[in-house]
Amino acid sequence: MTAPAPQEKNIETSDPTKGAGDIAGSKIGVFICHCGSNIAGVVDCGKVREASEKLPGVVVVKENKYTCSDLGQAEIIKAIKENGVQRVVVASCSPRLHEPTFRKCVQQAGLNPYLLQMVNIREQCSWVHSHEKEKATEKAANLVQMGVSKAGKLKPLEAREVPVEPTSLVIGGGVAGIQAALDLANMGFKIYLVETQPSIGGKMAQLDKTFPTGDCAICILAPKMVELSRHPNITLLSYSDVEEVKGYVGSFEVKVRRKARFVHEDKCVGCGSCAEVCPVKVDNEFDLGFGQRKAVYVPFPQAVPLKYTIDKVNCLHFKSGKCLLCVKKCSNQAIDHEMEDEILTLKVGTIVVATGFDTYVPKRKGVYKYWEYENVITGLELERMLNASGPTGGHLIRPSDGNPPKRVAFIQCVGSRNKKIGNNYCSRVCCMYAIKNAQIVMEHEPETEIAVYYNDIRAFGKGFEELYHRVREDYAVEFIRGRPAKLTLDPKTKSIKIRAEETLLNKITEREFDLVVLSTGLIPSEGSKRIGKILSLTQSPDGFFMEAHPKLRPVDTAMDGIYLAGCAQSPKDIPDSVAQAKAAASSAAAPMFARKVRIEPLTAIVNDDLCQGCGLCVDLCPYSAPELVPGDKGGMRAHVIEALCHGCGTCAASCPQKAISPMQFTDDQIYSEIQAALTETTRRHSPKKKAEAEVSP
Amino acid sequence: MTDKEKEVEKVFIGGLHEKLVEDKIIEESELDLNFSKEIRKYGGKDVMTCLQCGNCTGVCPISLKIAYKTRIIMKYCQFGLKKYTLDTRWVCATCYRCYEHCPADLNPAEVMIALRHIAIREGIIPPFIKTAATNLVKYGQSVKPDPEIDKIRIELGLKPIHTHDADYQTVIREIQVLVHASKYDKLIGIQEEVKV
Repeated sequence: MTAPAPQEKNIETSDPTKGAGDIAGSKIGVFICHCGSNIAGVVDCGKVREASEKLPGVVVVKENKYTCSDLGQAEIIKAIKENGVQRVVVASCSPRLHEPTFRKCVQQAGLNPYLLQMVNIREQCSWVHSHEKEKATEKAANLVQMGVSKAGKLKPLEAREVPVEPTSLVIGGGVAGIQAALDLANMGFKIYLVETQPSIGGKMAQLDKTFPTGDCAICILAPKMVELSRHPNITLLSYSDVEEVKGYVGSFEVKVRRKARFVHEDKCVGCGSCAEVCPVKVDNEFDLGFGQRKAVYVPFPQAVPLKYTIDKVNCLHFKSGKCLLCVKKCSNQAIDHEMEDEILTLKVGTIVVATGFDTYVPKRKGVYKYWEYENVITGLELERMLNASGPTGGHLIRPSDGNPPKRVAFIQCVGSRNKKIGNNYCSRVCCMYAIKNAQIVMEHEPETEIAVYYNDIRAFGKGFEELYHRVREDYAVEFIRGRPAKLTLDPKTKSIKIRAEETLLNKITEREFDLVVLSTGLIPSEGSKRIGKILSLTQSPDGFFMEAHPKLRPVDTAMDGIYLAGCAQSPKDIPDSVAQAKAAASSAAAPMFARKVRIEPLTAIVNDDLCQGCGLCVDLCPYSAPELVPGDKGGMRAHVIEALCHGCGTCAASCPQKAISPMQFTDDQIYSEIQAALTETTRRHSPKKKAEAEVSP
Repeated sequence: MTDKEKEVEKVFIGGLHEKLVEDKIIEESELDLNFSKEIRKYGGKDVMTCLQCGNCTGVCPISLKIAYKTRIIMKYCQFGLKKYTLDTRWVCATCYRCYEHCPADLNPAEVMIALRHIAIREGIIPPFIKTAATNLVKYGQSVKPDPEIDKIRIELGLKPIHTHDADYQTVIREIQVLVHASKYDKLIGIQEEVKV
C-alpha cells in the first residue's frame, strides 16, 4: 500500500510586487466591525469611523455589522479593486479567530495577504470595558490609529511549503497508541510504534473488565494487538525508547534505542522453555508485586510480541557469570547474553504522542496506611486480583491471610482532587472503576458487604449512571459520602477500622472492614517528562501534555506535526482514549496525505551582518528554531529553521545585537505603533492626567 | 386515655412540634450572602472552595466528643447562615488537625478564629473571654494566679508568680499600654481595668 500522490500546488497566486508600492504613501482602508452588538453595544463605531477618516493615508473607512460575513468581505474586495486600497486594517475581534479569513479575502482581491492588519476592538476593548462606553470608544479609536500606523509599514510576505514524509511515529503502545497506529496504517502510511515495555497493551492489558459494559479488557484489546503486530505497514519497536528527535513537521529525524532483550526477536518463537528452566523468581511488575515471574519472561500470556526478554538486573548469568540454563534449553539458539543496545534512526513526517499514565502511589506516611497495612491495596492491584489470568486466578483474597474478605471498603479520590499533594484535577475514571469492581466482587461473592466512601460520584458517561444505579439496586452496595479521616488496624484479625464523617447524616461513623481498596487517581506516566523535553512539548501544571486549544484543537500540540492521544493529554477512560487516538490519527494523516505543509512566513529572520553568533537565541527559543551555522565571513551565525519558528519574538527581544527580527513585528513596525499610541490627536487626556484618574477610585 | 398514652402523645406531639420549629424553611432574609467575604477579611481562607468531604470532622478531637461538626460550620459559612455559627465559635481548640488533613488545602481552624473576630466586633462576647482579658491586664496572664501554685513553686525553689517586685509591675504596665494602644480594651469592654 502506498500513500496517495500529492495534490496540485495551490498556494499564493498573488503577485508579490502588487501592493508593495511606496510604503509612506500607501492607501489604507479601514473596516470597522460592529460584531452585532458585541462591539457596537459598547463602542460608538460612528465616532471611531470619524476619527479614522482623519488619519493620514486612510482613503476608505467602512462600518459593517459583521465584517467576517460575505457582505463585509465583499466591501473589502470592492475597496481594494475600486479604490486602489493597498493596506487593509480590520478593526474587529482577535486575530486568532478571523485573521486567516481576512487574509484569504485580501488575497482574493489580488493583494498580498500579509498586507492586512487586525485591530482587536472586541476582546481588548468592548468586552473588558463594557461599563465605560466613552473611554472604550476613545480606546478603540486609539487602537485603530495604531493599526493604521503599523499598516503603512507592512511588507508583502510569501508563505513557503515543505515536503512531508508519509511515515508516522507513534510513541506508546497502550490502547491509544495501538488505535492511532492501526488507523494511520490502514490509511496507507508507514508506522513505527515505539513502546518502552517488552509488550504493547499498556495499562488496559492489566485490567480485568471495563466499565460500564463489563467487557473483558484483554479479550477486546488482544485482537487489536495481534492485528497491529501483523500489519504490513507497522514496524513494532517494543522494549525501545525514543532518545532524540530533531527536525520539524514533515521531516523529523528520530533516534530510537532498542534495548537489548538478550533474546533474538527473529529466532524466539515464544515457547517458554527458557522460563521453565530459569531458576530465578522475582515479583512480576505487571501483577504489581502480587505474582511472580522468572528472570527470562513475558509480562503476561497474551503479550505482543510474544518474545521473551531477559531481565539483566536479576539474571544469574549477569550476576555471577554462570547458569546459562536457558541457553542450553533453547532449541532455536535465540538467547544471546552478549546482545547490546541498538540505535535506529528513523525519518518520519508526523508524531503521535500516546505516553499514557501511571497510577498515583499513596504516600509512605499517608493517612491511608498503604505501606503499613497489608490489607490496604490500590484499585489496580484489585484489578489484577480479579483478573482470571492474574496472580490469584481471579479470586479476591486478603493479602494478610489469603482468605476471601467479607467486608470491603473503597476509598475514592486518593491522589486526585487533592490540593495538598498538588493533584487538583479529577481523574475521571476512579468513580466508575470502583463501582465496576464493586459489582465484580459482588458477582464473585454475593455475601460480601461493600461500602464506597466517596466525595462526589461522577457517573457522566454513556451507561455510567445506569451502572451506578445497578450496583445499588441489585447488589445493595452502600455509598457513604465522606472522606475517611483515620484508619486503624486490629492487630489480631488484620482488619481495618475506618473512621469517617457520614456527611449526609452529620454523624461520625466507625466501621470495620477486611479489605480496603484505595481508588488511586491518574498521574502523567514516568516517561512523559522525558518525552516532553525531547519533543519540546508544553505541559500544564498537573504534568499532562497541553493541547493547542482546549476546545477547538484538542489533539494538536503547539508543535506542528506532533499530536496527542489518550491519557498523555489528560486522564480519560478507554472510549475517550480511543476516540482521541482516532482524532490524532486523522489530524496526523492530513499533512501526510497532502505530502506538503504550508509554513507561515511570520518567522524570525537573522541579519547576518549584525549577528555575532553568541547563541543566546538558541538557548532561549521554546521551539528550538534557531541553530548556529558557520557564517560566510567565518565564525558562527544564527540561522532560524522556518518550519520550527512560531514567530513568538523571544529571540528578537533577547538579541543583544538586534540582529533578529520577527516578520510583521519588526522594531520599525512596533515603534510606529507606539508613536501612534502616544500621539495627542485622538487623546483627550494627557498621559499624566490619565494616570491620576486611574489611581482615584 | 391512660397516663401512658398521654405521655406518649405528649412526647410524640411535643417532639414533632419542636422538630417542625427546628426544621422550618430558611428564608432568604436569614442569609448573609457576603459572609464568606467577611470571613476572608479576618484571615479565614476562601471557605467557598470547601468540598464538604468531612475529613476535618473525622480528625477533629472536639467533634468526637460534642455535637460540633467542623464540616457543617464550613457549610454554614458558605451558605451565609451567620447565626448558626453562634454557639460553636469558642469550641475549637485550634489544634490545626483539620488544616493538616484538608484535601482542598483550606484552614477550618482559621475560619473559626475569623468567626471569633466577627463575633467580638459585633459585641457577642462570652463572659469567660472578658475574664481572661481582665486577668491578662491585671496579672499578665489569662489565668488568675493561684496561691496553691505559688506554694508549689516556692517548694521547688522558684519565685512565686504573683509578686510585687518592680520587674513584674513593669511587664503588666507594658501589657496595659499595648492593650490600650490596640484598642483591645474598648473592644472587649474592660476599659476600667486598664490604668494608662
